[in-house]
Amino acid sequence: MGLLSEIFSWWGGNTWGTRLFTLRKGKQVGQDEFGNRYFVQKSGVGPLGVPARWVIYPKLSEASQVPPDWHGWLHYTVDTIPTDERYHRRPWQKPHQANLTGTPLAYRPKGSILGKGERAKSTSDYKAWKPH
Amino acid sequence: MAKQLIVDGKPIEVEDGTTLMHACELAGAVIPRFCYHERLSIAGNCRMCLVEVEGSPKPVASCAMLVNDLPPNRDGSPKVVNTASPMVKKAREGVMEFLLINHPLDCPICDQGGECDLQDQAMAFGMGGSRYTENKRAVEEKHIGPLIKTMMTRCIHCTRCVRYMTEVAGVEELGLIGRGEDAEITTYLEQGILSEMSANAVDLCPVGALTHRPWAFAARPWEMETFETIDVMDAVGSSISADVRGAAVMRILPRNNDAVNEEWISDKTRHVADGLKTQRLDQPYIRKNGRFEPASWDEALGLVAAKLKAAPAEKIGAIAGDLAGAEEMFALKDLLTRLGATSLDCRQAGDKLDPKLGRASYLFNSGIEGIEEADAILIVGANPRLEAAVLNSRIRKRWRSAPTKIALVGTKVDLAYPYEYLGAGPDTLAEIANGKHPFAEVLKAASKPMVIVGQGAFARADGLAALSLAARIVLAASAGKDAAWNGFNVLHTAAARVAGLDLGFVPGKGGKDAAGILGPDSEFVYLLGADECDLSKVSPSAFVVYQGTHGDKGTERADVILPGAAYTEKSATFVNTEGRAQQTLKAVFPPGDAKEDWTIIRALSERAGTKLPYDSLKELRAAMYRTSPQLAALDTIEVRAVSGLETLAKLGAQPSSAPFAPVIADFYMTNPIARSSAVMAGMSALRASHQQKLSAAE
Repeated sequence: MGLLSEIFSWWGGNTWGTRLFTLRKGKQVGQDEFGNRYFVQKSGVGPLGVPARWVIYPKLSEASQVPPDWHGWLHYTVDTIPTDERYHRRPWQKPHQANLTGTPLAYRPKGSILGKGERAKSTSDYKAWKPH
Repeated sequence: MAKQLIVDGKPIEVEDGTTLMHACELAGAVIPRFCYHERLSIAGNCRMCLVEVEGSPKPVASCAMLVNDLPPNRDGSPKVVNTASPMVKKAREGVMEFLLINHPLDCPICDQGGECDLQDQAMAFGMGGSRYTENKRAVEEKHIGPLIKTMMTRCIHCTRCVRYMTEVAGVEELGLIGRGEDAEITTYLEQGILSEMSANAVDLCPVGALTHRPWAFAARPWEMETFETIDVMDAVGSSISADVRGAAVMRILPRNNDAVNEEWISDKTRHVADGLKTQRLDQPYIRKNGRFEPASWDEALGLVAAKLKAAPAEKIGAIAGDLAGAEEMFALKDLLTRLGATSLDCRQAGDKLDPKLGRASYLFNSGIEGIEEADAILIVGANPRLEAAVLNSRIRKRWRSAPTKIALVGTKVDLAYPYEYLGAGPDTLAEIANGKHPFAEVLKAASKPMVIVGQGAFARADGLAALSLAARIVLAASAGKDAAWNGFNVLHTAAARVAGLDLGFVPGKGGKDAAGILGPDSEFVYLLGADECDLSKVSPSAFVVYQGTHGDKGTERADVILPGAAYTEKSATFVNTEGRAQQTLKAVFPPGDAKEDWTIIRALSERAGTKLPYDSLKELRAAMYRTSPQLAALDTIEVRAVSGLETLAKLGAQPSSAPFAPVIADFYMTNPIARSSAVMAGMSALRASHQQKLSAAE
C-alpha cells in the first residue's frame, strides 16, 4: 500500500484518517500470524462506551482475514488477547482461511462452467462406443 | 341365462357365471381389490372387495362370489347389493387396518411409492389414523435373482406373484409358506427365478414387496413421461411404454394389448433399457490405415457415396438386420434399385422365406389371439419359449383352458407345458405330411389345427422344402374346414423380418442373397444394423459400411460406421410375426451425432447423385405405402385364406434328414442392444451357472 494510494483512495486498505487516529490514540496489543495488527484505545472510550478495539490489515481491508481467536477479542467477547490465552490449537484444527469469494481461488461447485467442467453423473448419460 | 341384481339401487342384468365384482363394475361401482387380477385365477384372500348383499348376515368377497351362488330372495325379487353402505365402509376400513398393521411405513423410500395400490386404496378406503401401537412384524429378505428386488416385510400376501409364476409363466418357483402372521412368500430354495417372463410378477405386485432391481431408486413414477411404443426384441411386437426422464429411457413397462401380449412382456423386452445407454455409436467413424478415426458426417457420407458410385452395380450388396425399421429398409432398397443394384437381403440368418410365394407363406396366419382357438398345435423346429416368450405363454394359456394336443418336431426343450415329442427332423415332418404318422390324424380331427414353423426349420439350405412340407400338412388338415382359419404359422425371431419381406427387401433379378453378398466377390457391402451374420468371407478389399446403433459384431469389419437410432429414438414401422404393422414412437433423441436411420440414407442418396424424392418422414411413408399398402394398415391383421399356401405346398422338394437345430443359444444375448446390456449379461451368466449346477447334479 503505497503512501499515494493511501492518501487518494479509500477502497484498498486503511486510510490516512485511520493512520492518524491510530498514531494519536492507538496502542498496539498484538499481531497475528497473517500480519494483522490489533489496537486498543489508549485513553477515553469509543462509541460503545468502552475503549475501542480495531484491526489494521496488511493489505486489503477484508474482515474475514481475522482468525477466530482474535475475532473474539475484537468483538469484546473476551478481554484477554489470544497471545496471553493458555489455549493450544488442536492438531485437527485447520488454519484460518479468509473468504476467497471474488478471487480466482473461489470455490466452484462440480459442474460449474467456471470450474473444471466435470459434472456429477446423470441418469441421462450414455457410454459411447470407442474404437480400440 | 341372465341373472337380475340391484347394485346400489341400479337394476342390472348379468350373464350366468359372472362374478359379483364384475357385476358391480358393470353397474358402475368401483370395487377395491388387491389379490384379484383379471388374468389370474381367483384367490379371494385379501378381503378388500367385500360388498354387502342384503339377506346375507356378513359382507361377501365379491371377487370369489358368482352371481349364480347368491341365494334367491323368498319372493323371487332380484338380490340387492350395496357397495357404498356403512357396513361396506366399515368392512373395508377394517380390512385396510389389518393390512396396514404389519406394513412398514417406508413409502418415502419405497420404489412403488406413487404407483402403489396400497397407498391409493389406503387414501380412498382406509381410516385416517392407526390404533396399532405394538411392534410390526419383520420378514427376512429373499434373494430371487437379479431382476426382482424383494422387501418381503411389505408383502400383504395377495399371492398374485405365486399365481402368476405358476399359471402364466409356468415355473413353479414361488410359493407361500407358513400361516397367519408367519406367512411368507419365498422361492423354494431361495434361488434366482429362471423364467423369461419373471419380471411381470413385479408389475402384478400391488405393494412394494417386489420391485425392479435394475432400476431401483433411480426415478419416481411422477418424474417420468410415458411414450407408448412397440418392442423389437422379438417378432411378437409387444406393446410397451417407454418411461423417459431427461434424455434417457428409464424403464420399459408392458401395455395392455389383448391381441398381442395381453399385459405381459419378456424380461429381455423390459430390462434391455440399460443397453440403450452403453456401447452407443454417437459419431461417424472412418477406418484409416486399419484404425477407426472419428469423422464428420460430411466426410463419412462423402466417402461412402464415392465408393458407392465407383462400385459396379452387380457387386453392390445390402443386408438389413433384425432391428431395422421398414422406413430405412424402404429407403435403402429405393436407393440401391436406382443405382441398378439387385443384391439385397433382409434374411441375414439365411431364412428361405420368399415373398413371391404369397404373404401367407411367411406369416403367423392364425394370429396370436388365434392360439386361444386352436385345438391341435404342431410346433416344427421352434422353441417358442425363447423365440417368442409372450407367445409361448399364450400357448400355455390355451393348454390350461382346454384340452389341446401339442406336439413338437425339433429339439426337445422345456416349453412350460407338456407336449408330445414326435421327432427331431424333417423325416418326421414328411411322415406327418404323407399321413403315415398318427399326429396327422390328430390334426385332421381338430377343428382349428395349427402348425407353427420356426426358424430352426427354414433357416437352412433345405428350408423351403421343410416349409413346403408344413404347408402340405396344413392344407391336408384344414380341408373342408372353416376357410377363414389358416393354420400355417411362421414364427419369426426378428422384429424387422416381416416388414423386410413385405417390402421385397430380397434379391431381385440376378441378385445375390445374404450368403452371396457376404461372399468374396462383393465390392461394396451396406450393413443396415446387420450383426448376426458371418462377415469372415467378405474380401478384405471390399468396402463395408455399417449403419447401426451399437458397437457390435458388424463394426468390427466395417470401413465406415454411420451412427443410427435405436427403436426408442425414432418413429419406425415394424411388422410383427402375424403381419400386424405397428409404429414405434420417438421417446428420446439419438445420442450425440447419431441420426434417424432413414435420414442417413436420404443424405447419402443426395451425395451419390440419385436424390430420393422424399424430404420428410411423411413423404417417405406415402411412397412406402404406395408400394407396400399392407404397412399402412396399422395394428390390424387381414384374413389370409389357407388357399394362399398352395404354391408353397406344390414346391414339394425333399429336405435332408438333418435334425432341426435350435436358433437361439442364449435368450438374453440375441441382438446388439441386449448384448450391450449389463442386466442381460447378468441374467445370461445366472442361467449358465444354473445349467452348470444342473448338469453337475446329474
